[in-house]
Amino acid sequence: MKLTRRSALIAGASLPFLRNSARAATTPGRLVFGLSSYPPTMLPWANAGTAAATAKLMFHRGLLGYGPDGTLRGELAEKWEHAEDGAWVLHLRDAVFHNGAPVTSADVAWTVEQVAAEKSTAYLRAEMQRIARVDTPDAKIVRLVTKEPMATLPYLLASYFLPVVAKDSTKDNPLGVGAGPFVMTSEERGVALDFQAFDKFYRPGLPKLKTLRMVAYADENLRVAALQAGDVDLIEYVPWQSMPSIEADPKLSLQSTPGPFMYLTFNGKVKPFDDARVRQAVAHAIRREEIIKAAFFGRGSPIEGLPLTEGTAFYDAKLARGWTYDPAKAKSLLAAAGVGSGFSCKLLSTAQYGMHKDTAAVVQQHLAEIGIQAELVLPDWATRVTLGNRGQYEMAVMGSASEYNDPDGLTSFLAGNLAVSYVRSFGLDIPKIDELLAAGRAEFDDARRHAIYTELQQVFLDQAPIVGLCFRAQGYAMSKQVTGFHNLPGALTFYSGTTLEETTTG
Amino acid sequence: MLWIARRIGVAILLVWAVASIVFLAIRLVPGDPAELLLSQGGVAPDPATVAELHEQLGLDRPVLTQYIDNFRHLLSGDLGQSLQDGSPVAGEIARRLPRTLELIGVAAVFAVLLGIPGGLFAAIRRDSALDRIGTYLSALALAVPVFVVGTLMVLVFAQTLRWVPAGGYVPLARDPLQHLALLAMPAITIGLGLAATVFRMTRASVLDVSQRDFVRAARAKGLGQARILLHHVLRNALMPVVTVLALHLGTLLGGTVLVEYVFNYPGLSGLLVEAVNARDYPEVEGVVLVISVLFVALNLVVDLLYAVLDPRVRTA
Repeated sequence: MKLTRRSALIAGASLPFLRNSARAATTPGRLVFGLSSYPPTMLPWANAGTAAATAKLMFHRGLLGYGPDGTLRGELAEKWEHAEDGAWVLHLRDAVFHNGAPVTSADVAWTVEQVAAEKSTAYLRAEMQRIARVDTPDAKIVRLVTKEPMATLPYLLASYFLPVVAKDSTKDNPLGVGAGPFVMTSEERGVALDFQAFDKFYRPGLPKLKTLRMVAYADENLRVAALQAGDVDLIEYVPWQSMPSIEADPKLSLQSTPGPFMYLTFNGKVKPFDDARVRQAVAHAIRREEIIKAAFFGRGSPIEGLPLTEGTAFYDAKLARGWTYDPAKAKSLLAAAGVGSGFSCKLLSTAQYGMHKDTAAVVQQHLAEIGIQAELVLPDWATRVTLGNRGQYEMAVMGSASEYNDPDGLTSFLAGNLAVSYVRSFGLDIPKIDELLAAGRAEFDDARRHAIYTELQQVFLDQAPIVGLCFRAQGYAMSKQVTGFHNLPGALTFYSGTTLEETTTG
Repeated sequence: MLWIARRIGVAILLVWAVASIVFLAIRLVPGDPAELLLSQGGVAPDPATVAELHEQLGLDRPVLTQYIDNFRHLLSGDLGQSLQDGSPVAGEIARRLPRTLELIGVAAVFAVLLGIPGGLFAAIRRDSALDRIGTYLSALALAVPVFVVGTLMVLVFAQTLRWVPAGGYVPLARDPLQHLALLAMPAITIGLGLAATVFRMTRASVLDVSQRDFVRAARAKGLGQARILLHHVLRNALMPVVTVLALHLGTLLGGTVLVEYVFNYPGLSGLLVEAVNARDYPEVEGVVLVISVLFVALNLVVDLLYAVLDPRVRTA
């Protein structure tokens, strides 16, 4: 056959019709999940990021957890109550670990002991050290006696950093033996994890999937391409720029929720950021919609007060609008603080993550409009963390999520009496905020908690220990053949992997 | 023999120098492995937990003690354990290195198959339309970054045509066809840039050699055009091409990171970048050491070969 220019053009034009649609078919009972990174470690009680947490939710479960609507629900404990003597009492359900052994109160006691141990590197070590003792009156009842009242303990027990592990099982396998809906069958470091349904999972009929494969795609664009090409059925961390194309694709669906948020931290040991009026001025100087457009392609919502998600129990619509854009007010606050003619400072962020860098660039422009000349410092993420932990900055851009949908979940960002950390402002201890956080944590009465957190929101606006910028949409995208998966609301979005037990394909 | 012993000694010194520089450099860069490991997801670890992890990982020891221990382990062939999950670094490198070598090897074969005949043809038909097109295309292939080529390939072949998966890796033993399908796009992406270099080098070298006296003599002797080209011109013209290709392949050992990232290919370069980001000291040191040993060994082999081929080198 003679190759002519015309035949070459026709062949080229026909390429799109040569799609191999068979590759895209979802296999019933099998799901391939595109993770945003390969879990650096899957030690049961360590914090190793959200990909690791999602993977661990497959083979581990804690005493409590979250339902698809984000409400607390029993996992290994089928019910729980706060006893009159102050202890939390949990009643375990009939569940078995992957090694066939029943889940007993001894396993729970051992787990708490391991997490709170002196040599432990568990994320919730300090929190579990607040438990004075664990009583195990029988094999199915656990009594957690705390050193001080802890109204928010159920949230900690629902954390994916606190799975219940079969007693002594970490001696043979550092990952421990769990009681989750799937059993991990193989692990290819840096590439993928394979799971098989656990046939003795404590929820009858679940998991619905027979097998599950988690493949790490560090490049967000490739993650989306893999979904669109049919290589994977479900992906996490959908990049904001890809959300419109996914929504427009008739074969795909997107679930997003405003969960994580961006904010500014300050070095309270450096003038003029030790002055609350300067921090308030910064809060009033920023047009948050522009950050949402520039860094998140319009997928977010502004934060003009305490970062509480709209619709959650303690959200106050009026106090949530405390820091509206008001450059005149910002300038007068600066003048009142004695820096009316402006000043120069350094704004720490990172060049490693686009959202951090873009947010910093917009903030820099807006601060310049009120006379604050901020010079961007954009090291890699590791250096940024170290500089933050050492207080070697003046102002910094940060992004994170509340630990749970309760103001107490914001403690690590607000409490100045905690140890130095890059996630909160440096050298900025505001005793009233610490006091209100402690009071809210210890209060069991809903009405009184509400009053405490309303006051907290007001003090927060006055003191501006951090300045909220915006919530960013956290998205999961999937083939329309995937059903039963839910993106949990607000700060709980990273717990969405829990719903893989109810997910089906095909 | 003395010359060979001296060269081997220098090679060992070089490897020691690289290992020492990497050991110190990675520790001088800000960023604490324990803090990073416990701060994933933007959370605040308890300082006591960080201190405990420091102790467990041996990071609380004096740097000199760490350095001596490190070299003691290296001498016994132990590259240490990853700070992230405790897995042996040597095992991870042993898994990743063959993948990178395979990727580079296939890219090189692609580059040679495309670049040498193309360069030869362009030189023969110098200033023809095909020569110009070839020259422009090679300039384009050199100018366009690999991540752009890679992204376009994903868009066309994975997302639009759905001929191949968008990226990933499957071992050859598990699924040979899938393995090759996943290897093709990253190898071609690297190979395109290499092919452009080979094309231009071949073209220039063939044109240069064609003007030499021995080629004119061959023509005067009445040898056929094909025989002159293949046996006299091309053989002589390929020397610089092979040298340049070898240099490029050497740099690719640690330089395929962008392609690995775009195609989710779990090779050695990606491991190095991940290790640097996590400040995983043993993994960074292990990967750089292996790459430098390969480089030094390659150079040593070349030096020894030169000495075999040309005795003057040994007495120089």
